[in-house]
Amino acid sequence: MLMHSTRLLTAMAVAALLSAPAMGQNKSGMGNMPNTSDLPVHQESAKYHQGSTPDLEVPPLPEGMTLDEVFNYAESDPPSHFPDPVPDDQLFGFVRFDQFEYRVTDDDAPGNLGWEADAWFGGDINLFWWKTEGEAIFDGANEGESENDFLYSRLITPFWSVQTGVQYANEWTPDDYEDRWSYVLALQGLAPYQLELDSSLYVSEDEDLTLEFEGEYDLRITQRLVLQPRAAMSFAAQDIPERNLGSGMTNADLDLRLRYEIKREFAPYIGVRYQSFVGETEDIMAAAGEKTEQWLLMTGVRFAF
Amino acid sequence: MKDQSRFSELSSMSRRRFLVTTGSSTLASYLMLNRPAWALNADVARSGNFGELDATAEEGIDLYLENQDLLIGGRVGRGITINGSIPGPVIRMTEGKDALIRVHNRLPESSSIHWHGILLPFDMDGVPGISFAGIPAGETFTYRFPVRQNGTYWYHSHSGFQEQLGHYGQLIVDPAQTDPVDYDVEHTVVLSDWTFEDPHNVFRNLKTIEGYYNFQRPTLANIDDQMQATGMALGEVIGKRLSWQGMRMDPTDIADVTGATYTFLMNGKSADENPVFLAEPGQKVRLRIVNASSQTYYDVRIPGLPMTVVQADGQDIKPVETDEFRIAVAETYDVIITLPDDQAYTLFAETMDRSGYARGTLASRVGMSAAIPEPRRRPMLNMADMGMMMKGGMEGMEGMEGMEGMEGMEGMNHGAHDSMVMPMGRHAANGLPTENLVERVKHGPSGHGPASITMAQSAYRRLDYPGAGLGDDGWRVLTYSQLRALERPPLRRPPTREFYLHLTGNMHQFIWGFDGKKWSESDMIRFEYGERLRINMINDTMMSHPIHLHGMWMDLYAGGDLDTNPRKHTVNVQPAELLTVDITADAPGQWAFHCHLLYHMEAGMFRTVAVVRSLEGGSINADA
Repeated sequence: MLMHSTRLLTAMAVAALLSAPAMGQNKSGMGNMPNTSDLPVHQESAKYHQGSTPDLEVPPLPEGMTLDEVFNYAESDPPSHFPDPVPDDQLFGFVRFDQFEYRVTDDDAPGNLGWEADAWFGGDINLFWWKTEGEAIFDGANEGESENDFLYSRLITPFWSVQTGVQYANEWTPDDYEDRWSYVLALQGLAPYQLELDSSLYVSEDEDLTLEFEGEYDLRITQRLVLQPRAAMSFAAQDIPERNLGSGMTNADLDLRLRYEIKREFAPYIGVRYQSFVGETEDIMAAAGEKTEQWLLMTGVRFAF
Repeated sequence: MKDQSRFSELSSMSRRRFLVTTGSSTLASYLMLNRPAWALNADVARSGNFGELDATAEEGIDLYLENQDLLIGGRVGRGITINGSIPGPVIRMTEGKDALIRVHNRLPESSSIHWHGILLPFDMDGVPGISFAGIPAGETFTYRFPVRQNGTYWYHSHSGFQEQLGHYGQLIVDPAQTDPVDYDVEHTVVLSDWTFEDPHNVFRNLKTIEGYYNFQRPTLANIDDQMQATGMALGEVIGKRLSWQGMRMDPTDIADVTGATYTFLMNGKSADENPVFLAEPGQKVRLRIVNASSQTYYDVRIPGLPMTVVQADGQDIKPVETDEFRIAVAETYDVIITLPDDQAYTLFAETMDRSGYARGTLASRVGMSAAIPEPRRRPMLNMADMGMMMKGGMEGMEGMEGMEGMEGMEGMNHGAHDSMVMPMGRHAANGLPTENLVERVKHGPSGHGPASITMAQSAYRRLDYPGAGLGDDGWRVLTYSQLRALERPPLRRPPTREFYLHLTGNMHQFIWGFDGKKWSESDMIRFEYGERLRINMINDTMMSHPIHLHGMWMDLYAGGDLDTNPRKHTVNVQPAELLTVDITADAPGQWAFHCHLLYHMEAGMFRTVAVVRSLEGGSINADA
């Protein structure tokens, strides 16, 4: 409602600027606003227009109103104390944890709590998004990392949104805390064949350029049992020694999750992930004595509210 | 029709005494309903026990709106009752008299009643924000208007989601003259849908999770079912599914809200409760059927009994005998049936998406019932619903009826906004053509922005198409092309102005509107007082939309001549359909024009129509 009135005010101001000479003749001002009847689809096809028919019987009018008063009423905006007939500019908020899971590796490393979640708030076209993902050691030393993207999102085509904002990424161990801010430009949406895609371009405060790409697909086995393959890939445009990244593709995650939708908003699942460093990054990690590929088993719940 | 002279006013009164609203043996008054004695569950009354009130009686009537717990389908739900019941009482009026209705709002929020299909002064139309400010909590609003028509109509709240909570009822206007419809007994049939969820929650679910209520989607598990039902090979089924996935569309997206949350009601009773409609064998029974649902289209049939449709949207039509008809949300149909014997017959109202049904029994005694038909397979949208006509490549498509005769039709190019170009030679001297209208328009680039997903390559007349999932059962199904006005309504003349209006939506994001815009983003559509106006509606979406104009009739171009085009208050526009209505703009003031699917309307598929003195310039100076 608030947004609507703001928009109305803006529209009125614009209309006033555009049609200043005409405004003087019109008490309400609103009568001169661009009208759907001014649009081509609603425009009069004047050639065939013959005016009103005189034989029309005037129907019963509201009590105490003359026909002219009714016409004046019809031309103006409804009285200000009237509510909107439909509250179609409501704002909605939504939170979904696509992943909220316990991850165990194929070696002796401690298990992780991993998550990937989105929260959004806004209207149909303009929204605020918060995307967060990360993991923390579940049992043992307090170590973890997270990435949080705070984005303005705009639906630009029926299936695609452009998003821009900042990312705050951090990593922590009991002895150390590192963090990093980046600018983000993202394209998120639904590609043909119902592929959910999300690509984000990051420029860090150190001017390093990286790209992350995620795609997933829901294969419905039954109405509630869903197999979801998912791929996530990261790329770097240059070597970033302090992040152990070499230029080119840096790493990939391939996931498979099988969930059961007890409700649309609550689906326990099990899954498996193959995780690998790639290219120069793989070499860097290998040289540092780190594992360059890994299998993980996950169990968790996908939920929304 | 039989000799009508025997229907004096007296006999019409005696017929009325036959009215049995639900099969409960009494027409309980409001006060009686509040007595718990007969209720199963302590103090909770059952839904579906409504009375009848005469609103054109001298003293008028009182309606009381209340939040109340009711047993609905055996479960306690909190709804909005009118005089203690869901649906509200049948309101009767007599044509030519003045209606007087005092609505007492005992709800904790603002409310309203809209008299659906009734011609009246705009301030009596009951749309908060357009006709009036609404009825504040605790206050009384008095509706008073002359009744200038007759037929079967209904009434409902126009405030928020109140309609979903039971705020509706039937409205019957008895004709001032002899009723051309010949019947011995009549029954009210109010179809509706009920959810135990908060409707605001339903709306949020639709807005946030696509396909939230659809549990009939294509899955690996039902590939075999699809192969058997369509006779397609595995490769064809997979290919067809991939092509839908390629378009990011779901061919099972027939209904936004389904039996997953809905209990489907007939006169407030679930199918298990089996409302009974009494009639003696041989009697002519008039069923006044209203679809008061928020979202649900019903396919209505009585296995073993043909129905003669005599009225559509309260307007007498030339009788059509049929076996099944689809009733869009907010439409009404009156049908005449006759029980041939002392058997029970099932009045079966299956939802369009086949996720459930409402049902009642026609019989001569309480306690009888007949078999309930097997639910049919849920329909899937097909290429015809996308306006795609491919020569030769039609194998395996379901429901091809609408596509006959498409070849050689006069097509015309039609971009989103340059669609008014009509072939010049076709115009009559005194207006736009009224017969043999263009059958098909090609779709240009959408141009409606992110709020509109347009898959249709063309829009075309589908007046002969009974609708997705109908027409293949070996029995007759009513189509719009069969609706012909019984008598030529007044003010029929060729329209002199026309425009195209696109029904648009983004099914993925649950955004709905006209021409890609919601109500809040749009301005009023202006009609000039007295003009004959044509609106060519083009459904860009893959769902059917019941489009309702307040205050004025829409004369449906149903393929025949101007004189017999039926008058409608609500027209169903099918996917990829080009549907034309002509309107006499004879009701000055402001009116609502909207999709009658409640959640589409609330999402913005709504316009304010202003009937103004002149389209030239701004408002009229009364002193000039």
